[in-house]
Amino acid sequence: MGKQTDIAIIGIGVTKFGELFHQSYDDLVRDAALQAVADAKISLDDIGAAWLSTAFPEIGVFKGRSGMDLSEPLSLYNIPVTRVSNFCASGADAIRNAINALRAGECDVAMALGVEKLRDRQPQDSIVKMMVEYGHPFLQKGFTAAGTFAVYANRMMKEFGLTREDISNVSVKNHFHGSLNDKAFYRKPCTLEEVMRSQMVADPLTVLDSCPTTDGAACVIMVRAEDVDKKKHNPVFVKGLGLSVSTGWDLPFFDPNHDFLSFEATRNAARIAYKQAGITDPIEELDLVEVHDCFSIVELLTYEDLGLCKQGESKDLIRGKETQLGGKIPVNVSGGLLSCGHPVGATGIRMVVEVSNHLRGNAGERQVKNAKRGLTHNIGGPGAIASVIILEN
Amino acid sequence: MSYIKSYGIALPHFRVEDSTLHPSGKKGVMKAVCFADEDIITLAFEASCNINKEGVDGIFFATSSSVFNNRYHASFLADLLNLSQGILALDFTNSARSGTDALLLANDLIGSGKYKNILVVSADVNFPEIGKERSTPFGHAACAILLCKEKGIAEITSSGSYSSSLAEEFSYKSNTIQNDPRYSRDAGFKNNITTSIKRIVSKPDSFDAIILNSLYARMAGGIFAKAGYTETQFAKDSLTSKIGNTGSTHALLLLIHELENGKKSILLADYTNGTNLFEIKTFTFPENKCLQEQLSKYDLINCYQDYLLLRKAGNFGSFTYTTKEMFSSEMMQEREKDTLQYLKGLKCDMCGTIYYLKAARCKKCKCETFSTVQLSKTGSVYAFTAEHYFPSSFPPITMVIVDLDGGGRMTVQQTDTLLPEKYKMEIGVNVKLVLRKMIENDAKPNYFWKAKQNG
Repeated sequence: MGKQTDIAIIGIGVTKFGELFHQSYDDLVRDAALQAVADAKISLDDIGAAWLSTAFPEIGVFKGRSGMDLSEPLSLYNIPVTRVSNFCASGADAIRNAINALRAGECDVAMALGVEKLRDRQPQDSIVKMMVEYGHPFLQKGFTAAGTFAVYANRMMKEFGLTREDISNVSVKNHFHGSLNDKAFYRKPCTLEEVMRSQMVADPLTVLDSCPTTDGAACVIMVRAEDVDKKKHNPVFVKGLGLSVSTGWDLPFFDPNHDFLSFEATRNAARIAYKQAGITDPIEELDLVEVHDCFSIVELLTYEDLGLCKQGESKDLIRGKETQLGGKIPVNVSGGLLSCGHPVGATGIRMVVEVSNHLRGNAGERQVKNAKRGLTHNIGGPGAIASVIILEN
Repeated sequence: MSYIKSYGIALPHFRVEDSTLHPSGKKGVMKAVCFADEDIITLAFEASCNINKEGVDGIFFATSSSVFNNRYHASFLADLLNLSQGILALDFTNSARSGTDALLLANDLIGSGKYKNILVVSADVNFPEIGKERSTPFGHAACAILLCKEKGIAEITSSGSYSSSLAEEFSYKSNTIQNDPRYSRDAGFKNNITTSIKRIVSKPDSFDAIILNSLYARMAGGIFAKAGYTETQFAKDSLTSKIGNTGSTHALLLLIHELENGKKSILLADYTNGTNLFEIKTFTFPENKCLQEQLSKYDLINCYQDYLLLRKAGNFGSFTYTTKEMFSSEMMQEREKDTLQYLKGLKCDMCGTIYYLKAARCKKCKCETFSTVQLSKTGSVYAFTAEHYFPSSFPPITMVIVDLDGGGRMTVQQTDTLLPEKYKMEIGVNVKLVLRKMIENDAKPNYFWKAKQNG
């Protein structure tokens, strides 16, 4: 693969995440998009093409099934708009598609917008309902999303001496970070005891080890680096992007070679992204990381899969508070999915907005000092799809 | 006539004591009761699955507690068991005598030479009205007997049936009718059994076990004495106090019980609104006494509340989410039958990895050719979790990832989880796969494998 054109993010926008009863799907699209357009100091009509990421229209408000659900609320017509769906990596995949269009010269200004509206239904009516009532009647029937990751936790505890406390401390850390983020769903810090004593969801993961379903939207506007207007823009550059589908929906649970100790998809996506960005020693070369902590165990697994530590040593990072704000490699200073919540299609883009804010020095109370390079990570399905994006200022 | 080649038994794992059902009930008197995901189909499958199915050209299904209307239990079971397509499959329903009805016809058909191997399966899962558990006989069990032309463990040397129009207790358009007991028992039971013995049975003194299966068995002593039998010939029904009265299965279980007890010459009489009689000679005694084994392995249900949950009489939702019917399709189950029902896996021709699911290429070595292999139904737990938010009568549902003995991996629910403390799930624990209902609301048949700890 030859040298690729550098891409710059020139506009970012993110809504408040939470139970947004007062905002519709369309309101969320407008909220995030108009913030990003204003930040980029362009007009909506400068956008040449757009990508809309919504993972679950059917268990939300039946919006986001096609690109037109971005066009309509913004009155943004007569340009190509594509809906992207790749489970929890949908947002990152929207960004990937926008970048590729810029590189291919299809357009000069591209928008990637992620939005999810799940809270118009009761929590048990959305993703749990999907797992209970839809899909294959027998294969994996009995799992909720929590369970598909809890089996990793049990295996990790058996193999690597990880403890329940280590897992729950991820939640404590991220809820503390979330208390500093005014756009997070949950802004209340919690104690280790509270996490461990909260309602059990799938052993050993409790409610506070699990992210909530959430409403929210996030948006980025990108151009080729050569088109950045230095007087107007405060750009952040995309230095690496990897996306990998490394197993399927059912296969991990029926594949005798799957060890439930790592996500091949994350390892592969990271390898691609690191190569593009020229990173060889991630823990030394990255200043902050946003990982997909849909359940607290996933953050620990991801430390290892991203190469922040060796396999089996993630417990040392959390025990040494190395991933806390002020530590060697702050992880999820936004509060992560555990605090911010998880509007599935929006999460990947929300992470890119978060890291961009740090690289611009605009992250306020939770600013990582002298942040020069950051990483975002998503994992979708039962660890099947992963994306890794490297950003620099 | 015909021979009993082999047999299989399925008793549910749990028993409820009479003292649990009612404060004045007796301790030690028990009934076998199904777990929430068991029914006549799963019990019948379990009883039949270890019987050699080669050459089976007929299957008879007997029950007094049908789950289907306008659908044959026998052909449904034949399909689950992977018997040849299109074989004779008949149902015998509607009566506690239907177990021996099936045996009677199977014996005659084999005797006629038209059929060679007929699998007779009886399963009954009756529950009495709530509150009437003490006065209503019930108990859950299944029994499968393979009858064949060639010599087996025992021979049915003669058989016959003597019908009667009088019934003591029956139902008419779902109303229960009880005739005057004095009249119906004298003119019905006593008259019928006396006449049938006289007409059908040859030499009273040649039997070392006489089995009389009837709710009125206790009044039969005088009748048999008059016909020239002695009290020592009687085989007492010791099963009712251990597993209850198992309806259409009971007579067959009593027969198996006497075979396992080593009786050489058996007279089996089964009375319900008419009598079926069989004379049976034993040749070899069964090596694997599976009835005795299953009678000794059980766990007691601790309280009436759990019994209600087992029969799905309580709220069987988990938290606020109650069981709803899931998506299912007959087409899907039919086309994926080899995998879903028959556990056929694919073995990579190059690296030997065994997959449960179909694929174009081996995930490990990318080889494109596979051979079909039969997966085993035993294995050990690789990983697990307990799901507290998935609907179930007994939450949490434990999901277990099982490495099957001989290769292949499956992920299934754990079953028989009434006593989670006694059978604690752990990595490395041995389990076996059993066929159970996936969703317990009984809206549709949906049978699939679950893992059971080898208790």
